[in-house]
Amino acid sequence: MSERAAGSIYDLGYRRYEGRRLGRWDAVLSLYVHGLRAAFGLGRRTRSKVFPMGLAVVAAIPALGYLMAAAFIDIDISDAIGAEDYFTSTFFFPPAALMLFVAAVAPELLGRDQRHATLPLYFSRGLSRQDYALARYASMATALLALTLLPQALLFFGNALVVDSFGGYFQDEWGQVGPIIGSSLLISLFFAAIGMVISAQSGRRAFATIGVIAPFVFLPIISGVLVGVVENFIGRLGVFLNPFFVIDGFTYWFFDAAPDLGEGHPLNTADFAGGWYFFFALAVTAAGVALLVRHYGRRSL
Amino acid sequence: MPLIETYALTKQYPGVTALNALDINVEPGIIGLVGANGAGKSTLIKILLGLLPATRGKARVLDMDVETEGRAIRGLVGYMPEHDCLPPDLSATEFVAHLAEVSGLPRTAARERTAETLRHVGLFEERYREIGGYSTGMKQRVKLAQALVHDPRLIFLDEPTNGLDPAGRDEMLDLVRRTGREFGIAVLMSSHLLGEIERVCDSLVVIDAGRLVRQGAVAEFTAGLGSLEVEVEGDAAALAEALTARGFEARGEGFLAHVGLNGDDPYDAIRDCIVELELGLVRLEQRRQTLEDIFRPEADEAVAERV
Repeated sequence: MSERAAGSIYDLGYRRYEGRRLGRWDAVLSLYVHGLRAAFGLGRRTRSKVFPMGLAVVAAIPALGYLMAAAFIDIDISDAIGAEDYFTSTFFFPPAALMLFVAAVAPELLGRDQRHATLPLYFSRGLSRQDYALARYASMATALLALTLLPQALLFFGNALVVDSFGGYFQDEWGQVGPIIGSSLLISLFFAAIGMVISAQSGRRAFATIGVIAPFVFLPIISGVLVGVVENFIGRLGVFLNPFFVIDGFTYWFFDAAPDLGEGHPLNTADFAGGWYFFFALAVTAAGVALLVRHYGRRSL
Repeated sequence: MPLIETYALTKQYPGVTALNALDINVEPGIIGLVGANGAGKSTLIKILLGLLPATRGKARVLDMDVETEGRAIRGLVGYMPEHDCLPPDLSATEFVAHLAEVSGLPRTAARERTAETLRHVGLFEERYREIGGYSTGMKQRVKLAQALVHDPRLIFLDEPTNGLDPAGRDEMLDLVRRTGREFGIAVLMSSHLLGEIERVCDSLVVIDAGRLVRQGAVAEFTAGLGSLEVEVEGDAAALAEALTARGFEARGEGFLAHVGLNGDDPYDAIRDCIVELELGLVRLEQRRQTLEDIFRPEADEAVAERV
């Protein structure tokens, strides 16, 4: 500013940077934050915000509706929506919105850097390829976590409204918080792993998106046939092919709930203990992340 | 301390040897890496950056081993790739600041350095606009800025003038020169145009088909290699003959004769010969040899060998 006061602009010449230089962790953190913002289109054009923000709303539709209803009419607490049901196949919108969100955002997070060839700019800095893959994965998982936790928070408040005693509800239902966070975290990590590992295979956005959606559409069909028709152990294992049932399985396990799903529901037919779904989701997640890291480690530039 | 050293550096792709037992040793300054397209320039730069593993051999950058200390090296260098590498939907400010943070600069410092660096490369108000709307010249400047933003000790510029018109080319070369001279940052710049290297570089490394052709200071190549161009009214071939008889290196054709500057007082000899042969002297001009003159025959041979 002083140069302007002096009435002329000087070229100060090149100045060396003598300030602090942060380490690898901070570099990874900045990549992570940048990715998380990009996931919701923050700092981008309005067009990039529409889809992710829209899906966040869709995921919250049952919770929003419930919250509004609870505010205006008396609902019996026995009819309340349970936190354990929200992201299971009980409601259609929430899990479908999560799936579409991954299909829209994962190709964006990974594909942009491939399409615009920005990867060499990252890899020629003090950041390893593994750091890059993990930071991108973390951004995707965190974005999903936001999408799952928001409706759960709305639901929690909605239920507190139903019982008319805010403080009392919080005290009584405090035990729900652990399972809510645990199941939301695993849903996010699980979906992010599947979505990212598929998206990494193609820089073409359309291919990657279709590639992510396809297994969520076709695997449940195959799973349905196996569980419903093949009446042996192999058939029962088919339940694991349906990612939505896997989520149902481990979510009920987190909440220690034994819902009445009705006769003939695949989860009942398959008859596995909830812990199996938990470990299966964990194994798929770990395998997905390992594949993602390996993919970027081997990628030629 | 040498800036870059390689020992028997070799890179093999299935069916192709991109680098063949390359031994390079260069001192700090502005270094030109010259070679035809496909000579292995980009491959060499990528290996020095640790983006590609070498098949055999060793390489050291800033006295650090490329293989074992790659991360430390990458923290101290900048890289401007040959290809397009900018996202079209971000502004230059946003993108460069992001990369500065990834390079380890704290947020506020990253913003400040970004503004300064973009100004240095000549981007002003347009730096807030989306990169997608930039001209090729502006994009090249952003690419240079992202390589400089974290104040590296060495930058690798892969074909920085690629795709630029003559004016843009001049400006980019000027920026490269300023980076090396005024900013005090060592530069390794690749190009397939000798003229560019000659204009800005202190030393050069010439590679062809993955092999080292020559390396050394640019001045070494051009000094003492001058010649005189003599235009006469009459038979230049006869003049050349007369000069050769006096022990000069000379050849002539039509009205033009070229005389080497190596002998004893060539100016007097030329004058005397012209008088003897009764030719009219039209023009006498000293021609400094360019790198192009030196390497043209070698490059041509190399091409012929491959065919």
